[in-house]
Amino acid sequence: METEIIVTDSLTKFYGKIRGIEDISVKIPSGGVGFLGPNAAGKTTLIRTLLGIIRPTRGSAQVLGYDIRHEINEVRDRIGYVPEFNTSFIPDTTAMSFVAFCGRMNGLSYPESKQRASDSLFYVGLGEERYRKFDTFSLGMKQKVKLAVALVHDPEIIICDEPTNGLDPSGRVQMLELIRNLQIDEGKNVILSSHLLRDVEKTTDYALVISEGEILAKGNIRELTANKRSTVSVKVKSKYNDLLEALEVNGLNVWTDGAFIEVEKTPAVEKEIFIIANRIGVDIRYLGSRSRSLEDVFVSLFKEQEVQIH
Amino acid sequence: MSESIKSSEAYVKKFAFRPFDGVRRGRIYRLGAISWQWWIHEWKRSKAVKFLIGFLIFTFILMNMFLLFTRDMMLAMDPDLTTNDLLEDNLFTMVRGIVSFGISFEVESDNGMSEAQFNFGGTSIFILILLVIVGSGLIADDISNQTTEIYYSKLEKYEYVLGKFLAFFIFGNIVLTLPYVFEFFLLVVGLGNIDLITAFPALVHVILFTEIITITYSAIILAFSSLTNRRLYAGLTSFMLIFTVNMIVSSLTLSGGEAGFEILFDVLTVLLLTSYILTGATTVEYRSFRGIQSINLIDGVGIEGWMVLGALGLFILLGFLIVVVQVWRHSK
Repeated sequence: METEIIVTDSLTKFYGKIRGIEDISVKIPSGGVGFLGPNAAGKTTLIRTLLGIIRPTRGSAQVLGYDIRHEINEVRDRIGYVPEFNTSFIPDTTAMSFVAFCGRMNGLSYPESKQRASDSLFYVGLGEERYRKFDTFSLGMKQKVKLAVALVHDPEIIICDEPTNGLDPSGRVQMLELIRNLQIDEGKNVILSSHLLRDVEKTTDYALVISEGEILAKGNIRELTANKRSTVSVKVKSKYNDLLEALEVNGLNVWTDGAFIEVEKTPAVEKEIFIIANRIGVDIRYLGSRSRSLEDVFVSLFKEQEVQIH
Repeated sequence: MSESIKSSEAYVKKFAFRPFDGVRRGRIYRLGAISWQWWIHEWKRSKAVKFLIGFLIFTFILMNMFLLFTRDMMLAMDPDLTTNDLLEDNLFTMVRGIVSFGISFEVESDNGMSEAQFNFGGTSIFILILLVIVGSGLIADDISNQTTEIYYSKLEKYEYVLGKFLAFFIFGNIVLTLPYVFEFFLLVVGLGNIDLITAFPALVHVILFTEIITITYSAIILAFSSLTNRRLYAGLTSFMLIFTVNMIVSSLTLSGGEAGFEILFDVLTVLLLTSYILTGATTVEYRSFRGIQSINLIDGVGIEGWMVLGALGLFILLGFLIVVVQVWRHSK
């Protein structure tokens, strides 16, 4: 059953006069959730506010039913955080020692922290390297250690802030796979904050699109990417402009979307398009409704936002 | 899917994630975790720390041997001298030596003769170097390694600050308080004929004074550690502040008359004066590089006892404030 893990009400954070986030009111469901937005959109500010690292200017939030203003320590024990910063860790400390230490900061006993640190490092694929010092670790390995740190105290929610930053393609795939596994195999609630649309699309089911401290869109990724405009997309081999002109002449409402011609859906519009295309000798390669990628949603949302600003 | 993912999946199956169903420890345990981790790290990190601790133990043994060898000679030279007097004189001198580089004080004794005060400046410099080496990285390393974000996601910022202070405070107690308490008992056994009840205030003084030194050093060294992300800069600046100001102030002081207010800017001199205040002394002779001056701490002229304690309080308060402000500033 889908429940809400985070509920915010007019959550606002200003850094002096600079807006971090403003009036964020959202109910985030359990499972995989993506915080999507360009750099400096307010994603990290929202995360840091939920973790109590910074205090909100106004508004409130509950994480798993705990108020972030009054029960922040309860919240922290239930969240594992993979920060965005390129943490270099303590160079001459072993991964095992550091992850166990982080477990103790979350209240695990000494033997329990050691055991769970070992488990977490094995989980992220650093079992063999757990007694190696950080100064011998690659960036990808350090990112995995951050994930192990987030996992060590068995949190219910894992927040990953740009976890694939600086990783090579194979490292990126591994990291996303690990995050996906956490959600599917271990039943953890994962929040993935990223400006990389594909990362969010691959790993989460629900997305929160944030820009300039405000929520532009929220919802299930399938719903967000579904074509709600009731159009028919046409892709042709050649004579793109000829078909466009012919469709307009025949009184159809058309516009372009990259390589596609979008035609407003009317009864039997598909048949009409075929007849027009056949008449002017255009080969149709695709005709039908087209689901949008998250990238399309993202671009259209930002275009709308720009229009509103200007 | 790449081979590495397959291998990590194999680990997942082998080391399946255990849900944690135990009881989480309290906040004090978590503070202790910060201190403990720093301790282990510092001990493993620096050979200089191990060397300096070894050197201090060696110096300690040397000082004791000197005293025990000359005990009979000193008792024979002065018939009024008791082993209790010897214990107090030597213990106080040693413990005051922690904060005296170029300055020493003398208190008029009952017979009008000034009591000889040894100056263990060499040892005090090594103690300061040790504390600076160890303490300068306390916060600077976290800023540099960007691990603070991880800590703040698990602890309150005030818990982080307290954990760091606790770490340094425990280290200070092991390096400063514990050896001198141990020294007290060594002298009790070594000198013999000691009336423990009479000697007990000396032990209290040693504990109180070394605790004050630890708190003051921790405030200053941690303040500098929080101001930069470079351990080296933090160490050098805190050492320079403590050491150089002491040198400058003692060089500036002119001979004769009541000592000037400039000595209140010197944390080591203020600490040294505090030791005398703790023993109830009212007039002390201030011996700097350039001469001897007197300070009456209760005459209402010049430097007073409350000013000394106030200056010390300000040093500590300022240090703590800088740490708190910097930690909050960094987290934003």
